[in-house]
Amino acid sequence: MMTPSAPRAARDAPHVLIVGGGGTGGALAHDLTLRGLGVTLVERGEFTSGTTGRHHGLLHSGARYAVGDPDSAIECIQENTILRAICPGSFEENDGLFVAITDEDMAYYDDLVRGCKECGIPIQELNTDEALRLEPMLNPATKAAVRVPDGTMDAFRVPMRFLATAKHHGAQLFNYMEVLDLTTHDGAVTGALVRDQVTGNEGEIPADVVVNATGPWSGSVARMAGVDVPIVPSPGVMLAVRGRLCNMVLNRMHRSGDGDIIVPQRALSIVGTSSWTVEDPDDLDVPEDHVRRMWEEGAMLVPAVAEAGFRAAWSAARPLIGSRDADSGRELSRTFETIDHADEGVEGFVTITGGKATTLRGMAELCGDVICRKLSVDRPCRTRSFVTLPHTAYYADPERKLA
Amino acid sequence: MSERPGPTGAAPGEHRDERGPVLRKGVGVPTSGWFDPRGRALGGFAFAANRVTGLGLVFYLYLHLGVLSLLLRGEGSWSDFLRIATSWAFLSLDVLLILGILYHGLNGIRVALVGSGIVADRQRALWWSLGVIGTIALVVSASHIYGSR
Amino acid sequence: MSTMGTRRFRVYRYKRGDPGWRFDLFVVPVGARTTVLEALRWVQRHLDGTLALRHSCLHASCGTCGVQVNGREALACVTPVEDLGATITVEPLANIPVLTDLVVDMREFVDRFPDEIAITRRSEPLPGAEPPEGIDAYERFEDCIECGLCLSACPVSATSDGYFGPAALAAAQRLLEEPRGVDPERILGWADDPLGAWRCHAAFECTAACPSNVRPAERIMALRGALGRRAG
Repeated sequence: MMTPSAPRAARDAPHVLIVGGGGTGGALAHDLTLRGLGVTLVERGEFTSGTTGRHHGLLHSGARYAVGDPDSAIECIQENTILRAICPGSFEENDGLFVAITDEDMAYYDDLVRGCKECGIPIQELNTDEALRLEPMLNPATKAAVRVPDGTMDAFRVPMRFLATAKHHGAQLFNYMEVLDLTTHDGAVTGALVRDQVTGNEGEIPADVVVNATGPWSGSVARMAGVDVPIVPSPGVMLAVRGRLCNMVLNRMHRSGDGDIIVPQRALSIVGTSSWTVEDPDDLDVPEDHVRRMWEEGAMLVPAVAEAGFRAAWSAARPLIGSRDADSGRELSRTFETIDHADEGVEGFVTITGGKATTLRGMAELCGDVICRKLSVDRPCRTRSFVTLPHTAYYADPERKLA
Repeated sequence: MSERPGPTGAAPGEHRDERGPVLRKGVGVPTSGWFDPRGRALGGFAFAANRVTGLGLVFYLYLHLGVLSLLLRGEGSWSDFLRIATSWAFLSLDVLLILGILYHGLNGIRVALVGSGIVADRQRALWWSLGVIGTIALVVSASHIYGSR
Repeated sequence: MSTMGTRRFRVYRYKRGDPGWRFDLFVVPVGARTTVLEALRWVQRHLDGTLALRHSCLHASCGTCGVQVNGREALACVTPVEDLGATITVEPLANIPVLTDLVVDMREFVDRFPDEIAITRRSEPLPGAEPPEGIDAYERFEDCIECGLCLSACPVSATSDGYFGPAALAAAQRLLEEPRGVDPERILGWADDPLGAWRCHAAFECTAACPSNVRPAERIMALRGALGRRAG
């Protein structure tokens, strides 16, 4: 595994402005700096404060999509393997279980096993005793389980590794910098008008290409350029209870449904999630009935959830690609897409959207390829094998020795 | 990077590397940060009280030396002093002094035991048990002091 | 949110270039479960878009939303407004330079840590649990979420910029408890500094403020014990 040093961008290298400092924007900043492009990234709040930071921390094996959405499943298992190699020490690598509690769950068993095999997701089939030995707090009515390579990631710190690495290779990264509007000239996007929340000052940042990496906000940012992006913000509720009730990620063996996952995080257990659609991702409720559902469904997997102390309940909006006719959001695909708006007559503007936390690097590779083609830059992606710096390197003095 | 500087003339992203103002707890001057009447837990209160009693005892020491120096001026000035020294107000100050000594000494023992890693994690138990000892000692001393009058 | 009344929030404001800081007053509708962070984000969306806030996970896992609420350190995302009184004062963390409004610049906090820190460790075993085939032992993240509440609460850091601080020293002690390939001698040498383990005065404010059960004060005392045995 090499960690070659990356040269800083040449003075005349093309300059890309990335709007959005979540996992996608961070991974893209890292990808483009390694290809020698000049990169500026602006994020209106703290990095990952939009949607990325709020997820339960699942390092996805893809098994949840193996039956209904095999494209997503394959993306997930590939990125899962890559992430463990390029962000070593940043995951709880305890694997996960798909657990069948009822007969209805068991009806899904064969489909799950076949789907995982077809998508290249390594599995191990377990009986009740074996499952309970691995996770003694599981519902004793467990009928069977399938082990999958899930893991837990720190939703804030893993993207920060990408940002730290990009920063050390010369990217200009600004949190607390809000995009007020995109600047255009002759129908092409030429940069952005920003407000620096640190000083209160406004100014313009010019760029050869502006990338919209704002997740659920992709629609509103795209509108600044006069284009439409088929993004449906789709929130879900999560519940954190006190106590580390499992070490492996526990999934309910059925098609996606409410409260069908428990992810351990330090001394908490996170039960998720639900799904509905909204217009405005800034205005998210935390519906009480959804929280109650988390308690109930969580207790189906691990009965001790019912007695556990409350820590937090919150909502996060998934960026789902698809038609606005979707009802709950669960029908939409979890794959990702790069849209070059030159196809609609708007030059200098690209949107990267959809996806999941686990696929951040893969999304950036795809988008990086599109951007390089646009700019006639012939540089391949290097992020598959480049070990990222620790998250603390974001703040460290570049001259300071890093562990 | 900017073509339109803002009200202070700075471009967006400028001044980020400067060190901003630092909030300190405590009243007034930065070095008083340890003396913060708001928001302290038990341990913080104990720490601040240790410093206050420490300063108080140092002040008392100088006062005491000053008083003793009256002896150099002969029996008359010493007898004058003794008359004040047996008043209620003065005896009460003596009790306050004993409180300060007991607190500082016993809390100091707690800090020494905890701080050297000998009893690192039983500090609450130490606080309360030494507190009981100290309270008994204070009541006994106070009754002797007032009783002698 | 279902409203159950309003509260007044006194919020510290500062932008670079301002002559000094000030407090802004906001009246915010709150419900039974509203947290300080939710109230502040409501202010950001409806009253003042220039208010800068730091947050990420919304469940006490990332450590980014540390502030002082009515003088006590807290993670805003898990601090309910309900028991806080009619007027709630929110200020940035103490002893760390302010970047803007309630956001502090974590550089100086992170810089204090020793070079070699590990964020994953052995997990405490659940009774009777065995790890699956191919995995030696279950692992988990360290408790410390690098929130800075301990440094803000520490009365010694209030008067000394150079003090390594509770989080860094606790992290070092964790490396002595579970080395993970780090040479203990290096850690002890790093901690054996007048501004390191010896600067602590046992106020225990750090342990009281820690939202993640790191118990830094107890760990600093244990570190001192280890240093004492090393010398003798």
